[in-house]
Amino acid sequence: MKKALAIAKWEFMEKIKSKAIILSFFLTPLIILGFSILPTFFAEKDDATTQAIGIIDETQSYFNLFSSELSKYQLKDNQPRYVIINLFKPDELTDSLKADANRNVVKKKLEGYLFLAKNKKDEMLFEYRSLNSGNFNDYKRFEESFNKIRRIEEFKKANIDTSLVSHLLNNVELNTVKLDEKGKESSADFKTQYFSSFMFIMILFMVIMISGGMLVRSLVEEKANRLIEIIVSSCKPDDILRGKIFGLSGLTLAQMTVWALIGIAMAGQGITMFSSFQNLPLLTVYFILGFVLFTAIFVGIGSIVTTEQEAQQITSYLSMITIFPIVIVIPAMQNPNSMLIQVLSYIPLTTPGVMILRLNSSPIASWEIILTLLELIVSIYLVIKISSKIFRIGILSYGKMPSLKELLVWLKEKE
Amino acid sequence: MLTVKNLRKEYTRTVAIDNVSFTLQPGRIFGLLGPNGAGKTTTIRVILNIIKPTSGEVLFEGKPMNSSVQNITGYLPEERGLYKKSKAMDVIIYFASLKNMPASKATQLAREWLKKLDIADAETKKIEELSKGNQQKIQFITSVIHDPKILILDEPFSGFDPINQQLIKETILQLANSGKIIVLSTHQMEYAEKLCNDIFLINKGKEVCSGSLSDIKRTYGTPSLKIEFEGNASFLNEHGDVAHVDIYQNFAEVQLNDAVKPSNFLKTLVDKIEIKHFAVVEPTLNKIFIDAIKK
Repeated sequence: MKKALAIAKWEFMEKIKSKAIILSFFLTPLIILGFSILPTFFAEKDDATTQAIGIIDETQSYFNLFSSELSKYQLKDNQPRYVIINLFKPDELTDSLKADANRNVVKKKLEGYLFLAKNKKDEMLFEYRSLNSGNFNDYKRFEESFNKIRRIEEFKKANIDTSLVSHLLNNVELNTVKLDEKGKESSADFKTQYFSSFMFIMILFMVIMISGGMLVRSLVEEKANRLIEIIVSSCKPDDILRGKIFGLSGLTLAQMTVWALIGIAMAGQGITMFSSFQNLPLLTVYFILGFVLFTAIFVGIGSIVTTEQEAQQITSYLSMITIFPIVIVIPAMQNPNSMLIQVLSYIPLTTPGVMILRLNSSPIASWEIILTLLELIVSIYLVIKISSKIFRIGILSYGKMPSLKELLVWLKEKE
Repeated sequence: MLTVKNLRKEYTRTVAIDNVSFTLQPGRIFGLLGPNGAGKTTTIRVILNIIKPTSGEVLFEGKPMNSSVQNITGYLPEERGLYKKSKAMDVIIYFASLKNMPASKATQLAREWLKKLDIADAETKKIEELSKGNQQKIQFITSVIHDPKILILDEPFSGFDPINQQLIKETILQLANSGKIIVLSTHQMEYAEKLCNDIFLINKGKEVCSGSLSDIKRTYGTPSLKIEFEGNASFLNEHGDVAHVDIYQNFAEVQLNDAVKPSNFLKTLVDKIEIKHFAVVEPTLNKIFIDAIKK
């Protein structure tokens, strides 16, 4: 055990001094932040300048109302968001009006134009024509505004009280309140749920990828320069295995601490996100077990690879498995009890990720938690056993990677 | 005393070592010699408990070599390499710690060794900043820093210039004199010849010959004669005492039949050619090695 600690200390100290790790300490949180925040940031961000929007109203009945409705939208600096230009000319044909408008759009005099007409069946035709298919927020505003004035008009025609109409037209928003298993309200909404799951899995993924890669690389190096023989002649293979796992876990812990500090520093007092994790201790348990499971697999597999290339391939394949739950984040939250999610909860490789997801989205029966935790612990035990057998022989075999058949022979070999 | 008894190691398709036995004494250097793929490294790995033999055993002072003796062995593998990005001193301390030596003691001893091997300034440098020879010296230090009772050196001279080879040679002799069991595995026969007290020649996993260096020379090598002369020595080809002869312009190498004494043979020459120089030469280990392997 003393030697395992010596190895752990070495692995920790040498890695923490390396440039790669220092980079990853600070780069990884940035990447995660980028992944989770940037898309929403971009999606919610509107063009900050006033846009010229043309309207061709062939029906000649909506322009005034529609343009005044659209003029209500403002930019942050209280400038109007849209400047509305009437492109309709009674004595010109629609086709030539459109051709004119198209030219202006191409010349960027107009951002785009709205085309209103009625077909022969008296159905409303409503088009927005522009160069970029871009901004969904614009479409939403156009659509909402137009439907609003159209309804008001229709109601007016039917002689319904205008104040009642505007009252009716106000949408009521749906608020989501999540209950925990005791029936208490929690403050988590859909968004925090999504981001907290996403973040946890992303971090798990990054951590496994970084440290797994490092582990495999260091094994390949030690095999290449035969240092592993000196180490094996000095300590038991199990000590080496433990030492490597301890060292890496320590490194990861240090990494997580740095990330947490960065996170707290950046979020300031607004770290409500953390308070929304009422399951934080449990999440951490799944996280750690997942990390140890994957590290144990990496040690076993890392011991049989002989080149940097093989190492990289294997590392990326394995890491893919950890990130897989991200693909199913949304379906899992919509329907946490679906068959697929249930099954994936019990496949050891996906258990940590899927359970992190489920913990964040709906209450889980205690027996399921106990069962999955037990299953994880048993698989870690088995994987370490198998890994150390492979490790014992793998670290001393050079040249080509062993075939599956050879591996089975190794596993049967007695100590 | 280290005893290797009936060692056998089989792999799936090959037998790496087959019924190998020998004994190592403290204070003596044991030369484990043989061509590539003979089974030297496998033997070393079994002794060091890196791999388990299929059958047979290795005993140190009567007890099996297991993890309990890990701290008293030192090993310099044939293929060298250290953690390139790490500092020399850190690497030495790490390997000492794997042998249960506390860092403070390791630091002190490491400084002594660095000084002894003329690389005191390497202490704070990274391995990759050192010359190849100096890297080898660091690795040599890692194998001896913990004062092992059993020291196994696989090709310790490769990669050193002649001056440093001399330095390492002297160091190895000092270590032997201090009572260590030393195994020296090498292709460089002249070093084996100068350093080893005992020889074990292995080929294709089997023992070819073994014993003390002088015994081996006596048993396996017939001495040869070196004769410098003037005149015509072609009669040597038909000489009844001669087993084999190579004649050059003014020089001949002669191997005599068994039981012929060189001095008697010399008498038969003096009438026929003018002898300038006559010497009985012991066979080199190199020759014994080549002859034995060829058989």
